[in-house]
Amino acid sequence: MRISTLSSFFQGVRQMQDLQASLAETQEQVATGRRILRPSDDPIAAARSVGFKETLSRLEQFDRNGDAARSRLTFEEAALTTVNNALQRVRELALRANNATETKDSRAQIAVELREQIADLVQIANQKDGNGRYLFGGTLDGTAPVSPSAGGVVYNGDQGQRLVQIGPSRYVADGDSGADVFFNIRNGNGVFRTTAAAANVGTGVLEGGSVVDPTVYDSGEYTVRFIDPANYEVLDSTATVIATGPFQSDQNISFQGISFTINGQPEAGDEFLVEPSRYQSVFETIGNVVATLDTAVSDDITQAVLSNEINTSIQEIDLAIANVSDVRTQVGTRLTAIEGQADSNGAAALLAQQTISELEDLDYAEALSRLTLQSSVLEAAQQSFVITQRLSLFQFL
Amino acid sequence: MADLLSTSVTGMLAFQRGLDVTSHNIANASTPGYSRQVAEFSTMPGQGSGNGFVGSGVQVTTIRRVYDQLLGLQLQNATTSRARLDMLDSLAAQVDGLLSSPDTGLSPALQRFFESVQDVTSDPASLSARQALLGEADGFVERLKGIDTRLNDIESEVNGRLREAVADVNRLAQSIAEANDQIVLAQGRTGQPPNDLLDQRDLLIRELAAQVSVTTVPQDDGAINVFVGSGQTLVIGAEARSLAVGGNEYDPTRVEVAYQSGGVNTPLDTGLTGGAVGGLLEFRASLLDPARQMLGETAQALAAEFNRQHTSGMDLRGALGGDFFSLAAPTVLPSSNNTGTGTVTASLSDVGALTGANYVLSYDGANYSLRDADSGQTVVMTGTGTALDPFVANGLSIVVGGAPAAGDEVKILPSRDAPAGLDVAITDVQAIAMAAPTRTLEDTGNIGDATISASTIVDVADPNLLTSSVIEFTGPNTYSVNGAGAFAYVSGDPIVINGSEFTITGAPQTGDRFTIEANIGGSGDNRNGLLLADIQTRGILDGGTIGVGENYGRLIADVGGTSSQIQASLSAQDVIVQNLEGTLAAKSGVNLDEEAAKLIRFQQAYQAVAQVVAITSTLFDTLIGAVRR
Repeated sequence: MRISTLSSFFQGVRQMQDLQASLAETQEQVATGRRILRPSDDPIAAARSVGFKETLSRLEQFDRNGDAARSRLTFEEAALTTVNNALQRVRELALRANNATETKDSRAQIAVELREQIADLVQIANQKDGNGRYLFGGTLDGTAPVSPSAGGVVYNGDQGQRLVQIGPSRYVADGDSGADVFFNIRNGNGVFRTTAAAANVGTGVLEGGSVVDPTVYDSGEYTVRFIDPANYEVLDSTATVIATGPFQSDQNISFQGISFTINGQPEAGDEFLVEPSRYQSVFETIGNVVATLDTAVSDDITQAVLSNEINTSIQEIDLAIANVSDVRTQVGTRLTAIEGQADSNGAAALLAQQTISELEDLDYAEALSRLTLQSSVLEAAQQSFVITQRLSLFQFL
Repeated sequence: MADLLSTSVTGMLAFQRGLDVTSHNIANASTPGYSRQVAEFSTMPGQGSGNGFVGSGVQVTTIRRVYDQLLGLQLQNATTSRARLDMLDSLAAQVDGLLSSPDTGLSPALQRFFESVQDVTSDPASLSARQALLGEADGFVERLKGIDTRLNDIESEVNGRLREAVADVNRLAQSIAEANDQIVLAQGRTGQPPNDLLDQRDLLIRELAAQVSVTTVPQDDGAINVFVGSGQTLVIGAEARSLAVGGNEYDPTRVEVAYQSGGVNTPLDTGLTGGAVGGLLEFRASLLDPARQMLGETAQALAAEFNRQHTSGMDLRGALGGDFFSLAAPTVLPSSNNTGTGTVTASLSDVGALTGANYVLSYDGANYSLRDADSGQTVVMTGTGTALDPFVANGLSIVVGGAPAAGDEVKILPSRDAPAGLDVAITDVQAIAMAAPTRTLEDTGNIGDATISASTIVDVADPNLLTSSVIEFTGPNTYSVNGAGAFAYVSGDPIVINGSEFTITGAPQTGDRFTIEANIGGSGDNRNGLLLADIQTRGILDGGTIGVGENYGRLIADVGGTSSQIQASLSAQDVIVQNLEGTLAAKSGVNLDEEAAKLIRFQQAYQAVAQVVAITSTLFDTLIGAVRR
């Protein structure tokens, strides 16, 4: 075969250029550590890695969201612990105040301490989170959620709860509104509330009280009126007698699916009222105790009035404590959820990272041996080029 | 004796000619397009005498170039293909690198934007987080515009290169025509092939083929006629026609190639398939236009969906959210052939209904009709085209006016210029609407255990959205709204009042009340923010199946895929061209060793013939000497 001198020259040059181009590509891969330098190197892998990078960035963001929620929930948990302690103290004080041995002075002292507790609770309810936003205002977190006023303590927040995204489809609340923590607590025993009429002249003291048949209980208002010390009748809200019965101290009085006991000896005309439970704030509950303590105890009858009030209040304090403990449990559950989600986010992120690395990253062992091979081939091409181009018949003419 | 001398002289002349040809070959060993030449020797006719024919020497009948017409044609076609792929590759690589690089690609900016949205959802009242969100929104818009500007620059580059390529085509056509002229003249005058002119013309044709695909038809007189596109004459004999560049009918900045004939330009876009021109047109139609279209759609879909959600929220001041992004209206380009004075304005009525197509609106003297700009298929419009009742089709809303003439047309590009027209509309951090406009409250006097869910907004346009409403239960299973009506209550069923939707679950008691009211002061509310953050993964393109990030990934894969396919075809075509060049060079190329050998051969032959002259002289001397004696 004929060989054109010019084309053999160009062919040699072109081969060297091709080898240099591959060498440069390999060198760039080694220098950057990336297998895909341009999407065209592997279009499918390039598009997939875009998707995985988005996943990765979202997972990192979820962790950041989780951190923010965790910080807020930790603030809330601390506040709730303080609330719980305060309520336990209030309960002790209420129990003590109910003792017949307490004097007017010692009850006044208890009242002073209870007022302090109310002030403390107001302060806790107005606590802020790490970002300077009110913890217990619901979504109205820019104004103090709780403020004392003439009628007691009022709530200025709303009932909103903020959700934060901590996983691809997982949201967690980063707080609880003051309404849920301090205000919307059922009074009485949580279903109904019994009170002794202020005009009672007997020594009947209400105790216990529970729903025995929820299907019958209709949330109505009822009055238990003593016809004489041994008999009572039950009136509904339209003053119709719906039940009557003989009275015995410490025996259950049951009607309309509810049941409670009266200790002591009521007199004819004494009335005990049953109402459905309503929302009552912890401030009001404690305020009730304080107001009761202002009544002078002079005999069995006034002692009965005090006991009735305080028994109801202690029941209500217990409900408030139970409520705070409920909220604390929820906060704990959320913190656990954030931890769990962070773990699973971490695992997913690791997987995404690995996939991205598999898609994009260079196999150094392979690339370096390729680099060595390519450079030795180029060297050989250069040497052979010089040798072949040196051959010419003209040298011998 | 005289015969002997003249015979040897023919040899001297012939071998001198041989040496001439060899030295020409050696001198042109590096000339591109040169085909080696050989002197064809033949005997001079003998002189008849009584004792036979006596030879009278050697002659050079012709100097022939060694060339294979068929191989030349194959190389010309292969060159056309390679030039097309070369052009495609160099341009596609620019787009390819632009889209995916962490420094210039859209994905990182998009991710940071949504990260900043998430940051605000975990602390909605934070002004610094809100400021960061606006910053990242600006960053996203800037990045988008950066890509769009770069694509625009590449389009300008395509325009410029088309102009250059067409100028090259015209220059080469002129040169080929001149070469034809000279070749016809030379061949007619001498009857011999003008080898070097033929080489030059073949080279010119190959250069022309690198610019645009051509067909060549050799003529008997030695000329070659050249045709371009779908059979338009570019060179006929000694005469050259020319191509021209002009603006697109609708878009004067978009360069198109036309055939010039009798002062009239006929667009040629469809016939020009190969060479640099073919590559440029193909790149623009199959890679650049779709990329710009897709980028525009992505920008539009994201901005529209973000706006839709943002306007469904409430800002820090208690006002309903405004548009977060400002979107440009679709581009309307009137045809340069229009004779009337009609006006057309288009706007986006429903971004979700856009199909990715461009449209042409035409007026036939009585009615308007809309058609797909690419497929030509008619698109049905509703409405009458007035401002109150605009034409509506595929997410577009079109208002016409003025006095159009029959046959007037405008082209409507819904998405192409969307990135350039996109901006962040909000500058005030307080105006970012992270809260839902309404909130629900349970009355503190409620006895029953029913609870109300947070509200979601189903109709932000409801005029009474922010008006407070009170639901009061008139019985365990009925409720009134603001003291009126009696609605059946089913626990957990959605209730919609004034555009807000919520559920009440549980067992309410008579007299229990729930309130829905404007979420004034809800600085800690992030319900709308969560929905905004959700847009990152929500399917909002292609009929709600594809998310923004995914769509961009698809663009990268599309461009990358096309680009890698072009690279593969290019390296295959390179091999084909190299093989053809090698085969042709093996036949036509100069081999210096061969020429050196020829030099020696002709030199020796010349010396031998010269020796004959010397012998002739000796013979003559011998004869003279004999006579003198």
